[in-house]
Amino acid sequence: MAEIIMKNVVKKYGDGFPAVNDVSLEIADGEFMILVGPSGCGKSTLLRMIVGLEDITSGDMLIGGERVNDKAPRDRNLAMVFQNYALYPHLSVFENIAFPLRLRKKLSEEEIRAKVEAAAETLELTEHLDRKPSNLSGGQRQRVAMGRAIVRDADAFLFDEPLSNLDAKLRGQMRTEILRMQRRLGITTVYVTHDQTEAMTLGDRVALLRKGAIQQVATPRELYERPTNMFVAGFIGSPPMNFVPAECVDGQLKLPFVSFDLPPEMREAVGDRHHVMVGIRPERFEDASVLDESHSSGGVTFAADVEVIEWLGNEQYAYIPYDASEEMTASLNELEKELDSERMRSQLVVALDPASAITDRSKAEIWFDPRHLHIFDAESGDNLTNAIAAATTAAT
Amino acid sequence: MDGRKTSNWWTVWGVVILLWAAFPLVWMLSLAFKDPATFRSGEASFFPAEWTWTNFETVFSDDLFTSALRNSFGIAVIATAISVVIAMFAAYAIARLDFRGKKLLLSMALGIAMFPQAALVGPLFNMWRGLGIYDTWIGLIIPYLTFALPLSIWTMSAFFRQIPWEMEQAAQVDGATAWQAFRKVIVPLAAPGVFTTGILTFFFCWNEFLLAISLTSTDQARTVPAALSFFTGASQFESPVTAVMAASVVVTIPVVILVLVFQRRIVAGLTAGAVKG
Repeated sequence: MAEIIMKNVVKKYGDGFPAVNDVSLEIADGEFMILVGPSGCGKSTLLRMIVGLEDITSGDMLIGGERVNDKAPRDRNLAMVFQNYALYPHLSVFENIAFPLRLRKKLSEEEIRAKVEAAAETLELTEHLDRKPSNLSGGQRQRVAMGRAIVRDADAFLFDEPLSNLDAKLRGQMRTEILRMQRRLGITTVYVTHDQTEAMTLGDRVALLRKGAIQQVATPRELYERPTNMFVAGFIGSPPMNFVPAECVDGQLKLPFVSFDLPPEMREAVGDRHHVMVGIRPERFEDASVLDESHSSGGVTFAADVEVIEWLGNEQYAYIPYDASEEMTASLNELEKELDSERMRSQLVVALDPASAITDRSKAEIWFDPRHLHIFDAESGDNLTNAIAAATTAAT
Repeated sequence: MDGRKTSNWWTVWGVVILLWAAFPLVWMLSLAFKDPATFRSGEASFFPAEWTWTNFETVFSDDLFTSALRNSFGIAVIATAISVVIAMFAAYAIARLDFRGKKLLLSMALGIAMFPQAALVGPLFNMWRGLGIYDTWIGLIIPYLTFALPLSIWTMSAFFRQIPWEMEQAAQVDGATAWQAFRKVIVPLAAPGVFTTGILTFFFCWNEFLLAISLTSTDQARTVPAALSFFTGASQFESPVTAVMAASVVVTIPVVILVLVFQRRIVAGLTAGAVKG
């Protein structure tokens, strides 16, 4: 068990392209750290640098206080679960799990057998021990890969998108398995995924990467409620946050579909800026008609043309188009490409109470509290309202 | 055109081709069992009137043939063993590593394989005599290796490339050195490649005629294909044809056995279940 500390780690390929760009991250002993981000952001490369399968161009990698930049993977005492399992097909499940133990040559046959059977029991693989990987299902193979990792006394576990090859239902089950296992063993774990649901549900802390640089490292709650920039805000949360271009004039915020007075703290945060990006999560909207009076005071209501309703049983989503200026749309499109979302037109996604009676192609009254807005700088994407948001969520 | 008719045509053509391919072998077999005195006489039929073992007796009582068999066997086995080992290491490097001159190396290997052997006979003859390895086993093993290695390397590297790199990486993370990872994980998975290479090399060495004739002069190193051409039969009045056929049958048997035993091994598919997709 050890903490992993990365200081200004850089990975440059031959053509000078920085896959990992000056990353500094501290993972405490026993912590479950998630590395998340869109494809190509460098999270897998970073993981492989931790385990030693990729060279570190510059910077320091410290495991358990020791600088390991030049150590081979076998000397770092880390266990890794690969995305496509990488099981040894010519060996049985028992031999697959025993493989790392046999390499050490220090254990007797009975000790090896005891350890393997203990690991198999934890993962419910006892009846499959004599089978070959080709005869197992995806979930079982995944568990064998995990068995191979936990049977050693590794200092840390590294997972490289282990669930991305499983179907949705199995993914949910295995996610819980992994979490339970980590809690019980208490070993430092670094988990790479592109799925933000996994990131939010599994991690003690989450590091969001974009193009090789860390955007934010925080608990899932903090990432959700206080994103540092537009990228983080747009990545976390499903359905994703609505980004609406706005103008700030005389203390008033003009959105394409409504204008209202900014609360004084937010006015201060915006400062002299004229054009800003406003972010509102779909779940911060409400159907004004089902709200009671006490709740709706202090909020803004606007009339909306609801185009489409998606009813999912436990919630429903309303899609409300609006008109936005050309240049704002262009900058939004770029951000959306990076977040891998497809927004074809400027529209608001609003999560409504399933009891709401709003229908397709109708007019509705939508309510929101301006204090739940995030205001972002239009150029840098930084969240201007972060500091205030902390106070707001404490109050509501 | 319904399926029945097409499958009939396939059967017909299949039989025709089979007969065409098997005919020389069957003829060889039939000659091997015919009496050497009468096989060319008037009432000759395709299959022998009486099946006789005389030819085989003649063949095995002749020192020329038994020593040739011994030479062939020894040379082929040694050349195959060395070729497989070298090809395995070379192919691993080519499949996994990126080094300067890799392309050059591969093109050279291909060039060597395509080189006409006949052009080498004269120079080799002189060189070998000068070096003193003329008419020795090593004198044949060296050129055999030269010609067998390119194909072996190409075959093996194709097999190695099929093995996902994650195998070695997983082994490395589990604590194996590069050598241990190679030995315990890659080699078992590359077994089909090893057997294919081995068989191809063995056939080449076993059947090779040109160099065997040119670089040997006594039964110290003469292999079977070369020896057969010197065959004289039981006496100078009898045609050696049937004896030669009998020798050929004997020589074909190991080849057939090898193929039958190892044909299953030349099937890729050992890596099923190792990785997803």
